[in-house]
Amino acid sequence: MTSFAYYPGCTLYTKSKNLDLCARETAQILGVELKELETWNCCGAIFSTVTDDIANQVAPIRNLIEAQKISNKLVTLCAACYNVLKRSNLYLAKAGNETYRKRLMNFLDTEYNGKTEVVHYLETLKYDIGFDNVKAKVVKSLNGLKVASYYGCLMVRPSEELKFDDPDNPVMMDDLFAALGATPVDFPFKGECCGGYILVDKPEVATKCAQTVIENMAASGAECVATTCPLCQYNIDNQQKMMSKQYNLPIFYFTQLLGLALGIDEKILNLNNHFIDPKPLLKQKGLLQ
Amino acid sequence: MKSEKKRIGVFVCHCGINIAGVVNVPEVVKRLKETTDAAVVIDHQYCCSDPGQNLIKETIQKEKLDGAVIACCSPTLHENTFRKTAARAGINPYNCEIANIREQCSWVTEDKEKATDKAAKIIKTLIKKVQYDEPLTPISIPVTRKALVIGGGVAGIQAALDIANTGYPVILLEKNPSIGGKMSMLSETFPTLDCSQCILTPKMVEAKQHPNITLMTYSEIDSVSGYIGNFKVKVRQKARYVDWDKCTGCDICVGKCPKKVSDEFNCGLSERKVVYKMFPQSVPNRVVIDAPNCLYIQKGACRLCEKHCPFNAIKWNDKDEIKELEVGAIVLATGYELLDKQRLGPYGFGKLKNVVDGLQFERILSASGPFMGEVKRPSDGKVPERIVFVQCAGSRDPENAMAYCSKICCMYTAKQAILYKHRVHQGEAVVFYIDVRTGGKGFEEFYKRATDEGILYIRGKVSKIFEKGDKVIVWGADTITGKKVEVEADLVVLATAMVPAAEKSFAQLMKLTQDEYGWFTEAHPKLRPVETLAGGFFLAGASQGPKDIPEAVSQASGAASKVIILFASDTLEHAPVIAGVDEDLCSGCGVCIDVCPYKAREIQVKEDGKKKTVKVIEVLCEGCGACSAACPVGAAQQKNFKDKQIEDMVKVGLE
Ligand SMILES: Cc1cc2nc3c(=O)[nH]c(=O)nc-3n(C[C@H](O)[C@H](O)[C@H](O)COP(=O)(O)OP(=O)(O)OC[C@H]3O[C@@H](n4cnc5c(N)ncnc54)[C@H](O)[C@@H]3O)c2cc1C
Repeated sequence: MTSFAYYPGCTLYTKSKNLDLCARETAQILGVELKELETWNCCGAIFSTVTDDIANQVAPIRNLIEAQKISNKLVTLCAACYNVLKRSNLYLAKAGNETYRKRLMNFLDTEYNGKTEVVHYLETLKYDIGFDNVKAKVVKSLNGLKVASYYGCLMVRPSEELKFDDPDNPVMMDDLFAALGATPVDFPFKGECCGGYILVDKPEVATKCAQTVIENMAASGAECVATTCPLCQYNIDNQQKMMSKQYNLPIFYFTQLLGLALGIDEKILNLNNHFIDPKPLLKQKGLLQ
Repeated sequence: MKSEKKRIGVFVCHCGINIAGVVNVPEVVKRLKETTDAAVVIDHQYCCSDPGQNLIKETIQKEKLDGAVIACCSPTLHENTFRKTAARAGINPYNCEIANIREQCSWVTEDKEKATDKAAKIIKTLIKKVQYDEPLTPISIPVTRKALVIGGGVAGIQAALDIANTGYPVILLEKNPSIGGKMSMLSETFPTLDCSQCILTPKMVEAKQHPNITLMTYSEIDSVSGYIGNFKVKVRQKARYVDWDKCTGCDICVGKCPKKVSDEFNCGLSERKVVYKMFPQSVPNRVVIDAPNCLYIQKGACRLCEKHCPFNAIKWNDKDEIKELEVGAIVLATGYELLDKQRLGPYGFGKLKNVVDGLQFERILSASGPFMGEVKRPSDGKVPERIVFVQCAGSRDPENAMAYCSKICCMYTAKQAILYKHRVHQGEAVVFYIDVRTGGKGFEEFYKRATDEGILYIRGKVSKIFEKGDKVIVWGADTITGKKVEVEADLVVLATAMVPAAEKSFAQLMKLTQDEYGWFTEAHPKLRPVETLAGGFFLAGASQGPKDIPEAVSQASGAASKVIILFASDTLEHAPVIAGVDEDLCSGCGVCIDVCPYKAREIQVKEDGKKKTVKVIEVLCEGCGACSAACPVGAAQQKNFKDKQIEDMVKVGLE
C-alpha cells in the first residue's frame, strides 16, 4: 500500500473530526495510507505576507521537514493548511530568497530546501488514485444528489502559486462527485469568500458574504453543499439560521460524501455534527436508512 | 575575383576645416603615396562640389583608373553622389568606395596626430576593399501592377478605392458574403454620432461599381508564393450554391426557407435563414446557402428555395473554386474580432444572457438590429431600466487576458451610454472604468457630453457579475471612495478587448510576423507603420492594432500610397550589394534560411535532382549579412563584402 505523509492540522482534531476520519477511512478503501506525521504543529493558519516574518514561517516549515521522514508528498485536507503550507514552501524555495532561507534555517534543526510537495487530498484522489478507480469502489451511488461544490477562496487563490484549478471555475470536486454518482451544480460563487475570520471582527460583513454564497447556491438548484474548509463549513452551516428565508442546505465535508458513497461506517461519517441536519435529505434520497 | 591589380585613385577631401582642421591632409597624401600602390592620390577642398566632382571624373579618365576611394564624410551622405561621378567617368560605380574620415575620425577627436594616423589607416583599408570589389549592376525585376487587398472592412475598401482611383486594377477579397466589416454592424459612430451604415454603404457601392476593382467575396486565401512585384496567390471561392449571375437579391427564397439558425451578423441575438443575405445593404446584394445547415444538402429534403426562385439561380452542384491571381502588392486589412466572453470567468463565462459585448449592444441599438433599434434585453425583451457598462473587460489585464489598451472602448462606451439615454429617457447608465482615455479629435468633448447627460462614471474594476432573479448583479470597487459597490442592472455591456482577426496559420501563409497577441508587425513602429519587413506586403486598419474608423481609414490610404509608389514604375530596382551563394560549397543545410530576416533565401534542388543548395531571392535580400555570419562552410558570401576581403581589410587596419 502506498503511504503518504499526512498532515491533519488542529481543527481536524477538534471541531472537524469527520473531515479527518472520513479521509483516512476512504483512503484505506482506495488503497492508500495517509500516514500522520509523528509530530506536528499548527500550520500558521494564515500565510504571512509580511516580508520579514521569519518567526511565522518556522511553524509551517517544521511540518514540511517532518514530512520528509515519510514521503516527499505531504497530503493536507483543510483548505487553510493546504494554502499556508504550500505557499510557505514555495516562498522558501523561490529563486532570490536564498538569504531568507539561510536566516530561517538558523531556527530549524534540519537543513531543508523545499523538496516536500504539498498536495490536497483531492489531488491525491485525482492524480494518484484516479477518479475512475474511485468510481469503481462506489458501493452506494450518490443517486443524482445535487451538490454545490464550494471551494472557497483558500483552495484556489493565489492561483499562480497554488495551481490547483481555474480560480474562476474550479471543477475538481465537481468531477469527483460526478464519479460518485451525484449531480454537480454549477454556480458562480464556487471560489468566493464565505466571510472567514472576519466573523469575529465585522460580523455584518461576514454574514453578508456567507449569505450571498448561500442564496447563490440555492438559486442554482443545489440540495446540499460540499467543502474542504472547516471555516466555510462553519459559516455556511451556521449563517443560514440568521437568514430571513430558510434554505435548509446541509453542508458536508467532501470526505463525508465520499465516505457515504464508499460505504464507510455511519459513526465515522458523524452526521450529527451539523447545524442543518443532513439526515432528512439523505433519507429522502435513499442514501440513509 | 580579379587577379590583375586595379589602378586605384584616392581623393582626400578637406571638407573645408571639417576634416583638414584636425587631419593633416598633406601628410595623409604623402603617406598614401609612399606606402600604398594607389595610382594617384590627390586632395581637394570640397570633393562634392562641382569642381571637385569634375576633378575626380577627369582624373579617372586621364589616368585610366578602374577604382576609386573618396576619403570624405559618411557614405550615407555622399556615397550615391560619388558613385554617380564614377559612373559618369566610365567605371563601375560599385568600384568606388567611401572612406569615412569625418564622422568616424576628424569629428570625434581633437588629437591631430592620432586623427592623421587613423585617417590614413581608414583610407588604406578601403583601397584594399576596392582591390577586391567586383563590378555590380543593380537588380531589376518586373512589377505586376495589380494589387490584392485582403479584408473588405472599411480599411480594405478605402485602400482598394485609393489604388483603383490611380488607375491600377485591384482585387478586394473578403471571407464573408458581403464587404463592410465590423463598421457595417455599428449603429452610430463617435464622436459625431453619424449613422455608420449611412456613411459606409456609399463606399461599399463605389467599390462594387468601380471599373478597376474586382470583388471576390465569400473567398479565402489558399496560398501565396513569389515576392514583391510578383506574387502568385491562390484564392478559394467558397461554394455559394447560388448562381450570382442569375440571383437578383430579391430575397424570395429567404422568405420561403424553413430553417433558422443563429445570426452571426446580429451576434447571435436573432436568427437568420439558411439561405440568407448578411444584411439588407449587403454588397454584393446576393444570397448564399449555408451548406452545413441546409436541409437539402445535408438530408436531401426541402428544396423550397429552388422551387420559389423566379430566376432559377439555385445551383446545388456548386463547388469551391480555386482562382489563381498574379499581383504585385498585397494589402492586409483583416481587422479585428472581440475577445470571446468565455475567457472572462468572473463576468459569467459568456453564459449570462443579459451580459452582452460591445458589438452585441451595437446590434441592439441598430435600427436594422434584432429589436429594430428599440433597446431591449436579450433574455425577455424587457426595456432595461439600468445598464452597467464595464470598460477594459479583458484589456489592460495582463494576468487574465490582454495587457494592452484596446483604445476605442472608452469612446464607444460613452457613445453607447449616450445612445441608450436618448432611447430610454428615464434609463440609468453606469460606467465602470480604470481611466477614461480621450486622446482624439473631439473625444474629450464627447466624454464631457456623456457625463453632462447624467451618465454615472465609477472609477474601479468590476470583480464579479452574476444573476439574481431576473437582474444582473455587478460587484466592483469604487477606488475614489474606497468602497465596495454593488449595482443591480437589467443589462450589462462588456467592452471586451479587441483581438486580431488574423490567425497564426493565416500569417504563416504569407510568412508575415505578428506580435505576441497576433497583430501584424509593422516594419518600424514610428517611421514605417504601414509597411512590413516582408517586401510588397502593406498593413491597413485594425489588422495592425486596435483602431477607430478615422485611424483605420487613414492608415488604409497610407498603405494604398505605398502600393502606388511601388507601381509607379513597371520595374523595381534593387541595390546589388546583396548575398550570393557559392553552390560548390553549399550543402543545403538551411541555417541561413532561418536567420534571414527578409525571407530572401530558399532551398533549390539542382537540375540533376540530387544536390540541394540555397538560392537567394535577390530582390528580397537587403544585404544585412546575417547569412554570411551563420553559414558554417562559408558558402554564403556578401557581394563586395566577402570574407577574404574583410579579413584583408582588417589586417591593413591593424598594421
Ligand atoms: C462595439 C464597437 C463600437 C465601435 N464604434 C466605433 C465608433 O463609433 N466610431 C469609430 O470610429 N470606430 C468604432 N469602432 C471601431 C471600428 O469598428 C473599427 O475601427 C473598424 O471596423 C476597423 O476597420 P477594419 O477594416 O480595419 O477592420 P474590420 O471592420 O474588422 O474589417 C476586416 C474585414 O476583413 C475580413 N477578413 C478578416 N480576415 C480575413 C481573411 N483571412 N480573409 C479575408 N477576409 C478577412 C473580415 O471579414 C472583415 O470584413 C467600434 C468598435 C466596436 C467593437
